[in-house]
Amino acid sequence: MSEQKLNITQQQSIRLEFTGNWFIDAGILGFTNLMEKVYGWSLEELNNKIISESDKVYYGYFPFGYIYDHLLQQLEKIKTPYKEEIKNNMHKIKESFMKTISNNFSSSSDIFNATWKKIDLLAKEIWIERKVAAIDKDVEKFEKKIKELFEEHKKEKYKKLLENLKEIKAKKGKTSKKSIFDVEEQNQVKEKLKDLRQYLSKLWEQKTDDEAKDNFFRIPISNEFFTNFLMFNSSCGYKEQRDGFKDLIDFNINNREILGKLDKTVNKFLPSESDFPNITYTKTSTETLKHRLRYLFVYLLCFTYAFENFEDMEHVFFYSSDLEFSHNINKKLRWYKKKVNLKDSNTIFKVTWKQIIDLLVEYKSSWSLENMYIIKYRKLSNKEQEGIEYIGIPKLQASILLDDHIRENLNHNIQSKSKNFERNTSWLLEEFIKGESLYPIILSHINLVLNKEAKLNYYASLTSLIVEANILNFRFKNIQNKKVALFSENHFDSYKSLINEIKEDVRYSSYSSSIIKQISKDKEIKERIARELLSALKARNKNLFLNILLKNLNERKELCSNDNLNNWIFNKIIVNKVSFEMYSLMLIMNLCEG
Amino acid sequence: MSENIYYWQKIVGSEQLTIDLLRLKNAVAESFKHETDNYKQKLVYSLLETVKNNDQKEFFYILLRAINKPKENFSNLWIELKENYDIMPEEAFVNFAYSIIIGIMSTYSGGEKNE
Repeated sequence: MSEQKLNITQQQSIRLEFTGNWFIDAGILGFTNLMEKVYGWSLEELNNKIISESDKVYYGYFPFGYIYDHLLQQLEKIKTPYKEEIKNNMHKIKESFMKTISNNFSSSSDIFNATWKKIDLLAKEIWIERKVAAIDKDVEKFEKKIKELFEEHKKEKYKKLLENLKEIKAKKGKTSKKSIFDVEEQNQVKEKLKDLRQYLSKLWEQKTDDEAKDNFFRIPISNEFFTNFLMFNSSCGYKEQRDGFKDLIDFNINNREILGKLDKTVNKFLPSESDFPNITYTKTSTETLKHRLRYLFVYLLCFTYAFENFEDMEHVFFYSSDLEFSHNINKKLRWYKKKVNLKDSNTIFKVTWKQIIDLLVEYKSSWSLENMYIIKYRKLSNKEQEGIEYIGIPKLQASILLDDHIRENLNHNIQSKSKNFERNTSWLLEEFIKGESLYPIILSHINLVLNKEAKLNYYASLTSLIVEANILNFRFKNIQNKKVALFSENHFDSYKSLINEIKEDVRYSSYSSSIIKQISKDKEIKERIARELLSALKARNKNLFLNILLKNLNERKELCSNDNLNNWIFNKIIVNKVSFEMYSLMLIMNLCEG
Repeated sequence: MSENIYYWQKIVGSEQLTIDLLRLKNAVAESFKHETDNYKQKLVYSLLETVKNNDQKEFFYILLRAINKPKENFSNLWIELKENYDIMPEEAFVNFAYSIIIGIMSTYSGGEKNE
């Protein structure tokens, strides 16, 4: 029994779970995404694999999948007529890898070595095509490199390659076209290139450990995000790439100093130790993390996979403190971005928020109160860090959005600028999630309505104003009433009561404030009063506002003594020093509606 | 000392003064309910004009003149005013004055009532 318990505890400890540190968590999500992308595993399947054969996942599936995906990306960038053929071969190698990995292995090193053999096969053809492209670009430079290798290793194969290069040079020179790919169709060149590819293939297959130290033989993987990190460093040869990858998975700090610290080399969101020696965080040793996160660097390497790339403009990552929830939202986001045309970052955000809200609704309150963030960047490299934004979704906003009625009413685009502006609408839901005040938007909207430049969106405006007023009151009450502290038992319950208060207020205020419409039957008079009230409100002059309002009301005795309206004005405007502006605007809005 | 021209004004040191405006409004409504609408409408106009200019002296001059009728039912309002009135900053005065005004307005005839 106790053994079984221990096993469950062990299982729990190796399952993928978020740590609470967002960039490590982004790595964990990235790792999950990568595995899903290459092998089609769901999070649950991946966790089962990790529980049953952890070594195979980290020493086999991971390195293969990671390089497989990187090479596929490289292939897209290379100009070659054999693209499809190479892709098919890569796919076959993947299938053969899947068979190999299902065998039994005695140690993690064995798994890694067997995997690396397949990686070697994967890389060969792309490496060859890259070399052909390099020859095409600068034959002399390439020749020089081969000569150096020949001098160093004195092998016949280099000599043959040199001869072949000379012939290619001669053939190419005779044609007017510049690229050898353009003249490849001519038989003679085709033959020579075929020979060249064969020579290169032999070079790759027969490379010795000594030769593999040279960066002539290196797996063509590069990544803007990890420019100088281990195997991505362009001066690093094939052997170094292999050893570096193994050390990274092993978390071998003794072999690699770079794995001993967390700084900008590993993640561009972190400061560099040399640039910011005064920030203690950069000096944090990873030694302590090693016990908690055995495969920390595997995750960190997958960091970029956590982000969804939108048309090469923005990279967006949704983060909550739960892996499954984040995974689901990011997955939905990926699926949705294919469906819609994303031309500008505004649309990206709408899509992102939409997914979040949909899922929030699906999960209801269980996760809504968790902290949620959207992290986005435009460009992240060693030199440039562009358009980085961290946007948190406050718990308060998340809980309010759970209410269907409020959410639907806020889910509107409202015109807040004159039609002459290119972007003249504001999406209320987005502004609300961002924690922006909705009052100025509604104020502009009503101003436009009065100037006949926009059509009044009554319910969206009403809900916005009431939600905002109640949040302000709620915060004010919390400050006043010191008993409602952050760590008190009823902290979360108070959000629930806030939603009820908002709903109650919508009912009460929409009716009571609408009575003001009876102030006159003449639309023009109502608009005149509305204009006067709006200018007082714009000047934030409560005295003037009430003066205009009561003077006009004083002529309609039955309205003055209408209990609903009279009490509402008293409670919501006169004695209200926190949110009277929102309620005042509600009156103006009703006058506009006619 | 022109500031102390009204004998019932009091200075309350640094102690925070909170006024129950609802009680004040109710007292006003109770006191004015027997007056005629025309009279109240005119009174409201005059009061509104003084609040607009933040003229506290004039506001209370008009108000006190209106309620200085010992034979009528203004005793509750007198008590409220005696307890609550102080020299106020504009913001407090605005809330105070409009509570009184809307209290008077609530007694006009013909309005829909909540039971």
